[in-house]
Amino acid sequence: MSRIIVGPFNRVEGDLEVTLDVENGVVREARVSASLYRGFEQLLLGRPAADALAIAPRICGICSVSQSLAAAAVLRAAQPIAPAPNGLLATNIAHAAENIADHLTHFYVFFMPDFARAAYAGRPWHAAAEARFKAVSGAALREALPARARLLETMGLIAGKWPHSLAFRAGGVTRALALGDEMRLRALLADFRGFLERTLFAAPLEAVTALSTIEELDRFADSAAGDFAAFLRIARDLRLEEMGRGPGLLLSSGAYFGPEGHRFPAGLLDTKTGGLREPPLDHIEEDVSHAYMRDTAADPALSDTLPDIHREGAYSFAKAPRLEGRAVEVGALARQAVAGHPLIRDLLAGGGSTVLARIVARVLEIALLAQAMEDWTRALAPSEPYCAPDAPLADGAFVGFVEAARGTLGHWASFRDGQIERYQIIAPTTWNFSPRDAAGAPGPLEQALAGLCVGEDGATNVAVQHIVRSFDPCMVCTAH
Amino acid sequence: MAAIETFYDVIRRQGVTRRSFTKFCSLTAASLGLGQTAATQMAQALETKPRIPVIWMHGLECTCCSESFIRSAHPLAKDVVLSMISLDYDDTIMAAAGHQAEAILEETKEKYKGKYILAVEGNPPLNEGGMFCIDGGKPFVEKLKWMAEDAMAIIAWGACASWGCVQAAKPNPTQATPIDKVIKDKPIIKVPGCPPIAEVMTGVVTYVTTFGRLPELDRQGRPKMFYSQRIHDKCYRRPHFDAGQFVEEWDDEAARKGHCLYKMGCKGPTTYNACSTVRWNGGVSFPIQSGHGCIGCSEEDFWDKGSFYDRLTKINQFGIEHNADEVGLAAAAVVGGAVAVHAGVTAVKRITTKHEG
Repeated sequence: MSRIIVGPFNRVEGDLEVTLDVENGVVREARVSASLYRGFEQLLLGRPAADALAIAPRICGICSVSQSLAAAAVLRAAQPIAPAPNGLLATNIAHAAENIADHLTHFYVFFMPDFARAAYAGRPWHAAAEARFKAVSGAALREALPARARLLETMGLIAGKWPHSLAFRAGGVTRALALGDEMRLRALLADFRGFLERTLFAAPLEAVTALSTIEELDRFADSAAGDFAAFLRIARDLRLEEMGRGPGLLLSSGAYFGPEGHRFPAGLLDTKTGGLREPPLDHIEEDVSHAYMRDTAADPALSDTLPDIHREGAYSFAKAPRLEGRAVEVGALARQAVAGHPLIRDLLAGGGSTVLARIVARVLEIALLAQAMEDWTRALAPSEPYCAPDAPLADGAFVGFVEAARGTLGHWASFRDGQIERYQIIAPTTWNFSPRDAAGAPGPLEQALAGLCVGEDGATNVAVQHIVRSFDPCMVCTAH
Repeated sequence: MAAIETFYDVIRRQGVTRRSFTKFCSLTAASLGLGQTAATQMAQALETKPRIPVIWMHGLECTCCSESFIRSAHPLAKDVVLSMISLDYDDTIMAAAGHQAEAILEETKEKYKGKYILAVEGNPPLNEGGMFCIDGGKPFVEKLKWMAEDAMAIIAWGACASWGCVQAAKPNPTQATPIDKVIKDKPIIKVPGCPPIAEVMTGVVTYVTTFGRLPELDRQGRPKMFYSQRIHDKCYRRPHFDAGQFVEEWDDEAARKGHCLYKMGCKGPTTYNACSTVRWNGGVSFPIQSGHGCIGCSEEDFWDKGSFYDRLTKINQFGIEHNADEVGLAAAAVVGGAVAVHAGVTAVKRITTKHEG
């Protein structure tokens, strides 16, 4: 048995290291380590509750709106207000823009460049992949980055500045969009649809979201000219549908809360039995047995986050969140599986949660969200309120959930006299890249890497890169 | 990495035309507040001088600076700047992985001794021997000191590298420490903001790599060209401040009319940055335009100065009842009282000058 360390990883958000125990060329055990800690849960204490809206987003420069919205959700839970419908719509538009931007970055900047590596030089698709996707110099980047920047101008219209926007409140958004803004939004969205339909999909969005079986996806791979189809053909050759199988439990807390409820509903899906139920969100616990943290309550509503870098057996700054004692996977795959998208359900039935299913779900979600943004923009009523006034904050313990690009994000807070008494955050990658728990049960990525055949390559095996990146880790959120 | 390669070679290799290149030089010179002569100088320098390598390192941070940077409004500026710097080392976007990436650092350090720019995003935490930010098995602070040794100058990106930012907020659990408190023997330019504006970042990095020196800095080490005015001085809501018209509640009638956000806690009157002129997301907007006050994210200690929603109490307001003459007289007294940084000073100076003249 040999122990090898993969990392530091480039092209991920933040610092990450993975330790692999390899025996006869096969990964026996993997340990994932978040190696950066700042202490947000400590420094939020004692501050005015509303200040969480300016501090929490600074956990992450990539998913800052998600952090803002989770803080707004926990503040909303503590006050008797009904948010303005326009405010919810504008929030959803901005949040979708951020999440699409994250998905696009993942596809073009973080994930696809691995196919341009020299390790694949012998494959028939390699030269094309290198020209198109190679890190920094690939042609696709020059199309995707400007399209992404233009999409994020919607963030300018709604939230002023991004990342670390300030416009999001418990009652809605601080800026009322005038008719002219709405027209600009529509123009931006039309431009973005153009990019997707020309470059990423080379097909109408409606044709992409209507794909419902693996057979249809295969036909799409062979007939379409875009970057997504190129990925599908590479994936078929490399058998990505067999790679990086997760724990099989998929969680979504419900995404894009609007006047008519969530656009993508909440749920917990067991991919082995196909059973879908309401997620038991009050049965979330955090285990610190392998984290550089002092012992504390398991319930996030009662726990502290105080580091202890000398802790015996610890290997990560991330705590290990568990739902009813089990490791669960979160992200676009979980959201679309719970929402019942037929293509995603078919992929799960075929091979469980794997690298292929994760990437397809993320790219599919780009198409779904681009359409949702158009719907939300049409539903705006310029003369109606955009923000309900704040009401006095109740004392007590509250929780707020949102779905960030990478999955379920929860903020647990206790308030007293308008001040923050306790604050706990469980981010998507805390779920996906959790370390082991007290029972020794590994986190989702650790499970996905176990059993991988790395052969002679050891740490340099590219499959390790594919599996790790298929979760689109955000390490600065993981331990914060 | 050929030693004699110029920026212009790199740019042309990236497929940028001569015409776009000259346009880039003019635009950049303009954004830096320099004239057409500077554009010509810039073009000449980029064509003839060896490319200056930029190493971009990440410490304790959230990557918001990189995120801002890659969305610079002028697409060519971003492309050109990216092709300048990405040849070297940036662990968020680069192609190389793991120890191969470490080798790039080693090589640059040796080959370009005293000639490369070290751009730092985030800062080193010093508690527990630096173990709260581990990079390649070693504390980031060690890597930072090691790369700083042979750098020509250091760019401290954002509030983290410049001042510490929210991770240094009380009780500063990891003892997150700004760059200039750790590296004391190198020229450091601070580009604060959380994050800094993309065009400010591209402007600074272009200036430094083109001319091989830092632009003119203020006493706090910030480039004067972008940080010499307060948000308040150029705020489009300023007339409403002067007229005493204020937003009292989010999205109220006054908010819809675009009145001043001072009473909602806006820190524009004490914040030096270019948000109200350059703006964000491609010049579309900035926080005050989104109906929310400025929180002063480019100022030192902005995170520990009371609530973001408390109104500033140490600034003078001009009430609606005063005419310009009265304002001028009152303000002259204030200036005489040597109150240096508060709302209205710029306007005051202008008005008093008019009086004297």
